[in-house]
Amino acid sequence: MPNSLAEPWYNSKMNPVIEVKNLTKVYGKRSNAFTALKNINLTINAGESVAIVGKSGSGKSTLMHLLALLDKPTKGTIEVDGVESTKLKARKLNQLRNRSFGFVFQQFFMNPNDSVLQNVTLPLKIAGTRRKERHELAEKALKTVGLSERVKFKANDLSGGQKQRVCIARAIVNNPKILFADEPTGNLDSATGDKVIKLLFDLNRKKHVTLIIVTHDEDLAKLCDRQIRISDGKIVEDTGTKAVKAKTTKIAKETKTKKGTK
Amino acid sequence: MRFFETLRTANHNLFRNKVRTFLTILAIFVGSFTIILNVAINSGVNAFIDEQTAALGGDNFIMLMSKDSAAMMSEQMSASTGPQEFTEKTNTIGVLSDTDLETLKNIDGIDADSFYSPTPLNGTGYITSSKTDKKYNVGSAMILPPGNFNIPLAAGTLVDQTEEAKQKNQIVLPPEYPQALGYEKDEDIIGQTITFALKDEFDGSFKEFKAEVVGVEANGIVSSQFGMLLSRALYDEMYTFATKYYPANYEAPTYYVMATFDNTRFTEDEIKQAISDAGYYAWTINDMMGVIRTFFDVIMIVFSIFGGIALLAAAIGIVNTLLMSVEERTREIGLDKALGMSSGRVFTEFATEAILLGFWGSVFGVIVAMLIGNAVNFAVHQPGAFLEVFPTFELFKFTVGNVLPIVIIIMIIALIAGTAPAIKAARKNPIEALRYE
Ligand SMILES: Nc1ncnc2c1ncn2[C@@H]1O[C@H](COP(=O)(O)OP(=O)(O)O)[C@@H](O)[C@H]1O
Ligand SMILES: [Mg+2]
Repeated sequence: MPNSLAEPWYNSKMNPVIEVKNLTKVYGKRSNAFTALKNINLTINAGESVAIVGKSGSGKSTLMHLLALLDKPTKGTIEVDGVESTKLKARKLNQLRNRSFGFVFQQFFMNPNDSVLQNVTLPLKIAGTRRKERHELAEKALKTVGLSERVKFKANDLSGGQKQRVCIARAIVNNPKILFADEPTGNLDSATGDKVIKLLFDLNRKKHVTLIIVTHDEDLAKLCDRQIRISDGKIVEDTGTKAVKAKTTKIAKETKTKKGTK
Repeated sequence: MRFFETLRTANHNLFRNKVRTFLTILAIFVGSFTIILNVAINSGVNAFIDEQTAALGGDNFIMLMSKDSAAMMSEQMSASTGPQEFTEKTNTIGVLSDTDLETLKNIDGIDADSFYSPTPLNGTGYITSSKTDKKYNVGSAMILPPGNFNIPLAAGTLVDQTEEAKQKNQIVLPPEYPQALGYEKDEDIIGQTITFALKDEFDGSFKEFKAEVVGVEANGIVSSQFGMLLSRALYDEMYTFATKYYPANYEAPTYYVMATFDNTRFTEDEIKQAISDAGYYAWTINDMMGVIRTFFDVIMIVFSIFGGIALLAAAIGIVNTLLMSVEERTREIGLDKALGMSSGRVFTEFATEAILLGFWGSVFGVIVAMLIGNAVNFAVHQPGAFLEVFPTFELFKFTVGNVLPIVIIIMIIALIAGTAPAIKAARKNPIEALRYE
C-alpha cells in the first residue's frame, strides 16, 4: 500500500475525462434571464477527486449537471473523453449516463413508493441487465453502503441518512467511471457522514473512480485532491491538479485514523 | 425479455392510480361492449339470413312479377302511415299471362324449368288427426315446389318427386303442426295419416281428405313463405273440390312466379336489370331478406352511434389519464432519463400503457358482451319469447373473427390517443423534469 500511495495511480496531466470551455448557463429568458454560470473553463482528469465548493446559490449544482451532461449549456462546450457533447448521438449520451456516470442528487430523487431494491436496480434495469444479475449487483451495492437488511423496505420509509445511502448505492451499482455527488453529506449526521465519505474515497482509491463532489462542507472539500471554488457563477479559485500527491497521502492518513477510532 | 419487462412495468404503472385507471377502462369498456354487441348481432343476423337464403337453394332464387305488382308490393312494405291516395298504378296487382311467362322464360340466365307459380288453395278448411279432437286452420296450402327449392326440414323428407309418388296423397307440414295434432316429436308424425277437410260452400258440409305426412318443415322465415306442401295428387283432388262451383273454364290467375337464375353467369343486379328491361320486376332473396335486415339495421345504427360516441369519450379519457400520469410522474421520468433511459423507451412505456388500457377495456367489453349476449340468446328462445319460432336464429353470434378485430382496433385507437402524452413524456429534459414540483 505505501508504495501505491507514493506513486500516484494515474497521470493526471495525461488523461482528461471532462474538458469545459467558456461555459455559460443562463436560466429563463429576457427580463427573467439569470446567468447562473459565466465563462467557466475547466479540465477534470481521470481518477481525480474534485470538490466544487461555494455558497448556496453560487451555481455548484448547475455546474455539476452540465458536467454530467444532464443539461445543455447556453454557451461554451463540454467534451467527455475527447468528444464534444453536442456531437454525441442520443444513444451514446444515454450510454454515458447509464454506464459511465453515477449520480447522487442533492434532493435524492428516488421513487418513493418503490422498494429500496427497485430503486437501486433502476440503472441496471435501464441498461437491460437480467433480473438475477440485477439483484446480485444491487445487493452488493447495498452491502457496501451498509443497508443489506433494508432491501425490501419502501424507499419512503427510510430515514434521511438511509435514503442518501440508497442513492449512493444506486450511483455505484453500475460501476461508474465518474461519480457525481451533490451534497452527499448534506443530510447526514456526522457519524454517517463520515461513513459515506470513507465509502466515496474508497471507490476513488481502490476502483479509480473519478469523484466530483459538490459541497459547502470545507472539511469534506479538504479531503479532495482539488478544490474549485465558485462564487456568483464564476470560478474564483482552482487548486488544480498539482496537489494530488499531497492530498492523496492526506486521505490515506485520514481514513486510517478513522478506521483506528472505529 | 425486454418486451415482457416493458409490459410488466406498464401494467404496474397503470394500476398505481387504481381509481383513475379503472374509470378509464370503464369508459373503454362501455364503448367496446356496445360495439362488440353490435358486431355480434350483425354476425347473428347475417348467419341466419345466409341459412335462410341457402334454404331457398342459395343466392339464385328470384321472384318474378309485373311492374304493377312490384309497385303495390313496395307500397305495402313501406306504407305503414295510414291511407294512401288512390292511383291506379299502386292499386293494381298485375296478372302474368301465358305470353308474359313465355317472355320471362326466354330471358337469358333464367332457368325456365324452375318456374313455380303456386296457386294457394282457397276455401274454408281444417286439419286434424286421430290423436286429437281439435281442428286447426289449414292456413296456406300449396303444391310442392320443384326440386331446386331446398326447403329446410326438421324431420322426414320432402314429398317424393317421382311420377308415381306424385299419385299418392302426401304432405309436408309446417312447424308446430305435429305437436298440435297430438304428436310429441316431429319424427313421431312421419308416416302417419292425417285428415284434411274442405267446406262445400253451397251446402255447408265438409269433405274429408286423407294424407300421409312425409316431412315437417324447420322453423324459419322460409317456411312461412310456403305453408303446407302437398303432393300433386292431393293438391289436384282438393283443388278440384275447392273450385267445383267456379265457371268451367276458370283458371287461377298467376300473380308471381318463383324461379332460379344462373348466378355463375349473372350477378343479381344484372339479372334484375335484364328482367326490368323486358318490362317485369324481380325480387331476389336479398330483397326479401332486406326487410329483415332493415329492422336490424336500425338497431345496429343506434348501437354504432352510441358505441362510437362512447369510444370517442374513452379516447379523450385515455389522453386525459395519460397526461395526468405524465404530469405526476415528471420527476420519475426525469430520473429515468438522467440514468440513461432513451426517449424512445420513455415513449414506449407510455404508449404501452395506452395500449394496455385499450386491451383491458376491450377484453372486459368482450367478456361482458358475451355473457349478456348469450343470456339474451337463451332468453329470446324461451317459450313465448320474441325468437321462439326461430330456434336456429342465434341473435348474438360471437366468433374470433368478429371479436378479435374489435379488440385490436380499440387497442390501436388507444395507442393513437396515447401518442401525444407519450411524446410529451419522451421530450422531457432530465434536469427540468427532476426539478418539477
Ligand atoms: N431551473 C432554474 N431556473 C432558474 N433559475 C435557476 C434554475 N436552477 C438554478 N437556478 C438559479 O441558479 C443559481 C444557481 O443554482 P444552483 O446551481 O442550484 O446553486 P447551488 O447548487 O450552488 O446552491 C441560483 O440562484 C438558482 O436560483
Ligand atoms: Mg445545489
